[in-house]
Amino acid sequence: MAWVGLCAAALPALVNAQEAEPSFFAARVEPVLDRHCVACHGPEKQKAELRLDTFEQTMRGSDAGEVVKPGDLKSSELFRRITLPDDHEEFMPADGKPPLTADEVRILELWIGSGASATAPLSAFPNAPVLRQPRAVAAPLAPDWRPHRDAIAALERELGVKLAPRSQVATDGLVLRTASAPARCDDATLARLAPVAAFIVEAQLARTRISDAGLATLSTWENLLSLDLTLTAVTSGGLATLAKLPKIETINLTDTAVDDTGLDKLRAAPSLQRLWVFGTKVTDANEAPLRNAW
Amino acid sequence: MNHDPSAHAHHDLCSDHGGENPTVWDLPQVPPGLKQEWLELETRRHFLGRGAKALGWAGLATILGRTAPNLLAGNASPLGGLGLAPNFAPKAKRAIYLFMAGAPSQFETWDYKPGLADMFDKDLPESVRGGQVLTGMTASQARFPIAPSRYSFSQHGKAGHWVSELFPHTAKIADDLCVIKSLHTEAINHEPAILQITTGNMFPGRPSLGAWLSYGLGAANDELPTFVVMTSKMPVRANVQALSNRLWSSGFLSPEHAAVSLRAGSDPVLYINNPKGVDSGLRRAMIDGVNDLNRQLFERVGDPEINARISQYEMAFRMQTSVPELTDFSNEPQSTWDLYGPKAKEPGTFAYNCLMARRLAERGVLFTQIFLRSWDNHSNLPANIKTLAEDSDQPTYALVTDLKRRGLLDDTVVIWGGEFGRTVYSQGVLRPDNYGRDHHPRCFSMWMAGGGVKPGISFGETDDFSYNIAKDPVHIRDLHATILHLFGIDHNKLSFKFQGLDQKLTGVLPAKVIDGLLA
Repeated sequence: MAWVGLCAAALPALVNAQEAEPSFFAARVEPVLDRHCVACHGPEKQKAELRLDTFEQTMRGSDAGEVVKPGDLKSSELFRRITLPDDHEEFMPADGKPPLTADEVRILELWIGSGASATAPLSAFPNAPVLRQPRAVAAPLAPDWRPHRDAIAALERELGVKLAPRSQVATDGLVLRTASAPARCDDATLARLAPVAAFIVEAQLARTRISDAGLATLSTWENLLSLDLTLTAVTSGGLATLAKLPKIETINLTDTAVDDTGLDKLRAAPSLQRLWVFGTKVTDANEAPLRNAW
Repeated sequence: MNHDPSAHAHHDLCSDHGGENPTVWDLPQVPPGLKQEWLELETRRHFLGRGAKALGWAGLATILGRTAPNLLAGNASPLGGLGLAPNFAPKAKRAIYLFMAGAPSQFETWDYKPGLADMFDKDLPESVRGGQVLTGMTASQARFPIAPSRYSFSQHGKAGHWVSELFPHTAKIADDLCVIKSLHTEAINHEPAILQITTGNMFPGRPSLGAWLSYGLGAANDELPTFVVMTSKMPVRANVQALSNRLWSSGFLSPEHAAVSLRAGSDPVLYINNPKGVDSGLRRAMIDGVNDLNRQLFERVGDPEINARISQYEMAFRMQTSVPELTDFSNEPQSTWDLYGPKAKEPGTFAYNCLMARRLAERGVLFTQIFLRSWDNHSNLPANIKTLAEDSDQPTYALVTDLKRRGLLDDTVVIWGGEFGRTVYSQGVLRPDNYGRDHHPRCFSMWMAGGGVKPGISFGETDDFSYNIAKDPVHIRDLHATILHLFGIDHNKLSFKFQGLDQKLTGVLPAKVIDGLLA
């Protein structure tokens, strides 16, 4: 899940000191304003002379007057701005910053509509959405590949492989895909990918012609999370080198010649979570500690 | 580019600029958005038609649905590729959709209602029906007598799913299944309902789910289609509903995103085999010649559909090599046949198609949809559903199990279900061992497994009669938004400009990703 619930109890700073329980404003409204508005309407910048970092400032309004009219959504400029079509020039947040979610809009709607109180308790809003916030930004999986796009494209053409962005987050890395022409991919192909290896987080090498020599190359791809070696010529002898990979989480060895000795060597891989050995000589007793159900 | 919209503004009605026919710009009542869309197309035509050929082809890479790298030398470049990348890191890389056409009854499959056993032949309370409009098939019935499931249920796995005795094999993978009991739709008849769940809209002409994914994500394997459809031999022929390529069409997207239909037998893709006396070299020369003619036509008229045709000739040529390899099951070990059952050797059966789906998944095919018909059991439901379950239970179990043991289930989402549910009351004569059920759109059951779906849970609840949803409704739009989410796609961002609208799979009504279904 990309989202986690934000529990007010876990955030004592939000609790209104005068109340036994937090106010709706402190627990729900303020976090929304903090997340979406305060960067431009707060202590650092005061666009339109508006600050939304405290209750009092919010109620004071902007150079054009009040932005919150208690109990009157239609006349509340703040609410009007956040509910315009997102391509409207008066839409807020401006400049393509992420719009409020439907739940966040609903929180402001409930708050203004019920009189924009500073103290009304959270329990007075039993149907209010639970506030959600994005998980802390994940650590980059790989360096930004974009400055190297020409080199990447050239290698794709030369080698007949695809180096596809894993997502639109440039530090989510690249996926090496060989499914279009697996027979064209061999140990030499992997060696040629050295200049871009740091960007590769996932190597899909099923049915390719790579062998143990290729595994030695792969053992230097330090950002690799996932490796599919299904139906390749790799053997137990080559697997020890993969244990060096600091981040490797999943390895698929289906339909290869590996056996129990190879598995023993992989046990040293520090991050390994999932391993598939269907169609190999690995015996049940030995694979149990590492394998997934099979 | 070099086109100035204002240059059109002063044209008289039905002016003929540049020797062309009157255009949308000449019509004062046409909204500006539509005119802008026309202008963009027009601009492409001028640019591609009049510009240097090389430049024109480079432009195509972005215009032509994104699998256009097929047309260029080499492969997809990350330059254009960023547009193809998911919005966020995906859990699913492929989907296999087991489509139970005709609408399986939830009562005998996934929505266990033990309380009904004591209500045999009692009248369904009017308060439950709530004045719902019924189909013409049962609206005139004098009574609506409750028909309990003829089949019993037992709990399976750590998940404790109640699984029907019709599915002894599927019961063994209970802990992999996310069973959803609260799907609902507005459509009460087959064609609109099946269009809605395959394309997101009851009207024909929209791209289906597989086409949207193809358009959004492109191909992992250029040698095979991104989207493959198979229809299955029917073990029972009862109330068979027609299937048509409307259900796997690319709609207004480029035609290369439509499914390729894999057929049973010696000719899996029609007309890709060379006729007698034509060898591969001659075929290549013929395709080069046709493509050259098509390119000339394209330069003259600029219709992107011409390029889709070129790319499809190329795909067909590549499939001459890739499809025989795909459909050659001779290397499958005995363990495969033990798993999928003996019917898997017979081309066109559901079992054969399930095995084919695993082979497609292994080869990187994005979306495979298998249709199995005859679930439309208005009468003789107990006998018909038993035959269908016997035909499909073991292969379904085998597919999920095979994907799992080969490490493919983590990033392949498997989906099982039909287009709506069925009524708690019997259509026609009710006996303990025989009854029928009419269409019911207010609730129906599906399951999903793998690909980032939360395993071993049951989601949503219906009332004691499985007539109305009691908890956590899931509209088809929500299902679609959730499936796209598994692929790393924000359903609001996957759009295509057509007829002045940013068209989306999930349409214009609110749709939401169902968090509770996600692992």
